[in-house]
Amino acid sequence: MSAGREVIDQDARLDGSDGLAELTGLIRRVVAGRVDSREAVDDIVQETVARLLAASHRLDGRAVGPYAVVTARNLVASQWRRADTGMRHAHRLFDPRAAVAPDEALLEREEAEAIRSALDRLSPREREVLLAHEVHGRDTRSLADELHSTPGAVAAQLSRSRAKLRVEYLIELDREPPTGQCRPVLLSLSAGDKRRQSELDAGYHLLDCGYCAALSEPLFDRRAAAAPDEVRVAVEVDADIVVVRQRGRDLAMQAGFSAAEATMIATAVSEIARNIVRFARRGEVTVTVATDGDATGVTVVARDAGPGIPDIERALEPGFTTYGGRGLGLPGSRRLMDEFVIVSDVGRGTTVTMTKWRR
Amino acid sequence: MFVSILRQGDFLIASIHTALDDTELLRFQEDLVTQIGTSRAQGIVIDVAALDVLDSFASSALRDLAQMARLRGAATVIVGIQPDVAFAIVRLGMELDIHTALGLEEGLAYLESVTSGNRAGGSALGALRGVDR
Amino acid sequence: MAEPELDDESELDDVERAAPRDDHRLLPALVAHLREHRTELREEWERRIETTHLLQAMTPHEVGSETTSVYDNYVEVLETGSVDALQRYARDLSERIIPRGVETHEVVGIVLLLRDVLARSLFLKYHDDFDVLNRVLDAYEPAANRIANTVAVSFVEERERIIRQQQDAIRELSTPVLQVRERLLILPIIGVLDSQRATQLTDQLLRGIRLNRARVVVIDITGVPDIDTTVANHIVETVDASRLMGASVIITGLSPEIARTLVTIGVDLSKMNTIGDLQGGIEEAERQLGFHVTRSEDS
Repeated sequence: MSAGREVIDQDARLDGSDGLAELTGLIRRVVAGRVDSREAVDDIVQETVARLLAASHRLDGRAVGPYAVVTARNLVASQWRRADTGMRHAHRLFDPRAAVAPDEALLEREEAEAIRSALDRLSPREREVLLAHEVHGRDTRSLADELHSTPGAVAAQLSRSRAKLRVEYLIELDREPPTGQCRPVLLSLSAGDKRRQSELDAGYHLLDCGYCAALSEPLFDRRAAAAPDEVRVAVEVDADIVVVRQRGRDLAMQAGFSAAEATMIATAVSEIARNIVRFARRGEVTVTVATDGDATGVTVVARDAGPGIPDIERALEPGFTTYGGRGLGLPGSRRLMDEFVIVSDVGRGTTVTMTKWRR
Repeated sequence: MFVSILRQGDFLIASIHTALDDTELLRFQEDLVTQIGTSRAQGIVIDVAALDVLDSFASSALRDLAQMARLRGAATVIVGIQPDVAFAIVRLGMELDIHTALGLEEGLAYLESVTSGNRAGGSALGALRGVDR
Repeated sequence: MAEPELDDESELDDVERAAPRDDHRLLPALVAHLREHRTELREEWERRIETTHLLQAMTPHEVGSETTSVYDNYVEVLETGSVDALQRYARDLSERIIPRGVETHEVVGIVLLLRDVLARSLFLKYHDDFDVLNRVLDAYEPAANRIANTVAVSFVEERERIIRQQQDAIRELSTPVLQVRERLLILPIIGVLDSQRATQLTDQLLRGIRLNRARVVVIDITGVPDIDTTVANHIVETVDASRLMGASVIITGLSPEIARTLVTIGVDLSKMNTIGDLQGGIEEAERQLGFHVTRSEDS
């Protein structure tokens, strides 16, 4: 549930007057200075905003602007690299299946080595606990007993070790960082440690250091680890729709819903996840267990930084469709769930929040 | 494979074995319509018992598939829709105007009845002769 | 806050060290008194029950035997400090008297009456020595309240359990899916349909279709007094979902009022197979099935 609240807070912050609008202008200037096609500019600005939304809760306020600029630059660079595939196929940039290279085996070997070297950079204690948890599946409670610590402290340590491992892995695949500042900055970004980011003036460093700017992209492009009573899935391709609805269904069953109700929830999740893929191309769906007094339910939040919906009333009418579908996505999901709230801001994105209560 | 297509007499039996995403569904639609042409099947049974969700996209894909099949001279029947899935489709507001049957056996029986009827001009005697063949 | 409390306690310790031992002897004396005057106190209690018109659903003989048991259990709790036996008895008593229509306030009322009857008798016995009386009441009151609490809670719990049980039974009875013959199910809906029951009914019917491999379902709504929009929509959904499973649906017993409701909410009745009464519905269903059966036999 804390995650559900976090999502809402985050939206509130980005919806603030000095928030996203200002940033979007900044991003547009950065991109327009480098790309000619108006269509491509729009695409890159949207994509940058989507990534910004996904990473914003882990960024210190002052680092958001620089991160946006760096992300936009990275996207422009990848746009150039694949310019020959045509602007219209820009969305395939983010399709992992499209990126499968013929020398996959070689890459896999390189990756395994990078992971091994990155593990070597952890302290023996960090390594031992991380492996016990990730590889041998030990839970934080039993680890805490062994280490005479608390489960919370072990979880925090695990999270720091993972953040460190991600940084070391990326450095291993690239080259040693050019300045002494780089490693601590990357670490603070990876761990989402806002205090440390502010101490190090991470935002300024990102703008200044090309090395860190390039690494910050893969550092944030990962799926957040989900708590057991929470499902969080980044949605950008068709296959993600299937993943998120299956995991949503599992969570609903776990929360005590009947198979019939869990199927309704899974169907609603499927519809709104498809809306993200169709209209916004990229976004995130979270499914959490909700409680209200004695009542238990499941809350689904779908967020994107897509074009937004100009006329919500109309979008909720059955049969209203913009992509040749049957126009049942939103009105259908609303019927399948008990509560349904949609907030949309044209040019900024859409958030759908829906809840079903157990009977 | 996620989908298997078997031939039985004049009919094709397509079974979906796992959840399909939109792209896979469209590919399945295309494959099946192609096969109707090459095999000159009179009817197709699509077994969806393994699907735990049939949302608006999947329902549309099945409906479109049935229409394409009809243009190629084959009747379509969907079988094995789970109770929970059936209720969710209805609550979603889909009108799945395709013929449905409980299971494979019932689906094949339906195809026999409609195709024999077509071939023999719809008379009861002709229908029986059609089934006997 | 914590420190002054500690000081008070240590002062008390010094001054009244003898008091607990004294109180220890009070309780057996109290119990002995209640045993000794069992008959008169119990009769006084019964008189009070009668004048306050409690337990009128029970005969005087029944009231007599139950009050005896309650009295003995009551004294036993005072003596042993354990409410286990009383709790068991209270559950058992509740199970017996709930079907007779005894209400919560009556059960709580009689226990409070007994508490007061006994308290008054203790007052009479010890009223000369105010100090002793105070200590007797100090020992008696918490125990008496605990007893009243135990009986009331047991009664309410038992009542809730019985209500739940009855609701389940009614629910099962009111949505039976009957198989009349192979591949034909009948679902007679009786009583008021609310949204929850309608959902449950659909769920049962759809599972029944798969279990019995039904091809035709007759839903008879003769027993449904009236229908609101939500429930009408549920019925339409049930018909559509059954069709998706491969079973055709015949609706019988549609009153003119319900038919009007359905039309008002935009249900296309021509799309629904409706037949006047259940008998006609079953005949139609058999005709549909017979058509299929003959064919498959011939082939």
